Amino acid sequence: MEIIVKTAGDDLPSRIAQMFETVIYEGRGSLVLVFLIGVIFGGIIQYTRVDKFEKIAGFAMLKDTIVPKMLFLTVGLASIGLYFMVQAGWAHYHIKPIMWSGLIIGGILFGAAMAIFGKCPGTGPVSIAEGRIDVLVGAIGGLLGGLVFTLYYDDIFKPLMGESAGKLRLPQFFPGHEETAVLIFGIVVTIIAFVIPKRELYDEKDLEKLPPEARPDRR
Amino acid sequence: MHRLPWWMGGILMAGLLLMTFSIYGADRPLGASTYVPYFAGILFDLDPHKYAYLKEIDKAGAWEGVLLLGALFGGFVTSVFLTKSFRFSLIPTAWKKYKNNSVVSRLLWSFVSGFVMIIGARMAGGCTSGHFMSGMTQLAVSSMIFGTVVMISLLITGRFFYKRGE
Repeated sequence: MEIIVKTAGDDLPSRIAQMFETVIYEGRGSLVLVFLIGVIFGGIIQYTRVDKFEKIAGFAMLKDTIVPKMLFLTVGLASIGLYFMVQAGWAHYHIKPIMWSGLIIGGILFGAAMAIFGKCPGTGPVSIAEGRIDVLVGAIGGLLGGLVFTLYYDDIFKPLMGESAGKLRLPQFFPGHEETAVLIFGIVVTIIAFVIPKRELYDEKDLEKLPPEARPDRR
Repeated sequence: MHRLPWWMGGILMAGLLLMTFSIYGADRPLGASTYVPYFAGILFDLDPHKYAYLKEIDKAGAWEGVLLLGALFGGFVTSVFLTKSFRFSLIPTAWKKYKNNSVVSRLLWSFVSGFVMIIGARMAGGCTSGHFMSGMTQLAVSSMIFGTVVMISLLITGRFFYKRGE
């Protein structure tokens, strides 16, 4: 028996089916692989606890430095790896354009919101998955933000973001020394990750559920 | 082990990024904010043919939508079985300590900051994942500009929004 899934239509179930359909035919990894990348992504974020308010808002207050340490290490290691993968033809660059006012206005709004929310769009869903209702409320705000952005994209946001000043990579400023530039960048960023002093702000409510010998604050 | 050390997280995340970039993986960067307007379009029943932005993000939004479902699942599983941190809560412990005890205040600020965050991310064309992680990994100048502005704005807001003290 053949199973036929109807994906035509504009009701909610069809639109969600169209999402899967788009991914299946886009050729950016199979549906299972994309889901799996998500599972690992969410798993790493949750298991390292970087989705916690104490880690992100804690960094904004400079009481916790786990988030920048992990981010810088990720970028340092991956930048060197990616360069050699691209050289070998195993990957491509996908550079976002320089749109000065979009990046600056967007960055200011994003940074301020991140300090207050204590989440970002990648870590927020992970917190919702572990039962944080306040983050769910924030996500509803986010969906309305997405709605407003879509509705007024042509009239307000696109003109506000400005023209693209091109897609530039840092090594392009050092012609002939691409490889050296990438290696220096990768090594320096990795060193920064280790040099940032380690500070941690713990959530007592999480720790009290653990056996005393497993508490990271009592080691 | 109830939590991974940060360096282990960094190594694993770098591996995941490279797998995503690889032509044997997804041959694209890992981003996590385009799914929001994509889902907004679906939930608020906007016609994707009528709105230029929805047309622009149709493919990226769907890809990240599936990624998001995976992240929800992955986060749920590790919170229940590994970190044992799954519980329902309305207000973070540190919010009580450094801001106030009001649930209404936390929910209101969450809502407003969630709204502002997505406007900001979409104006800049990415978030912590798409710009900071994926973009800086490619040494993209746009992502370095975004990363610098976000860091400054985050630290200034953190300094003035919360009470100081230990």
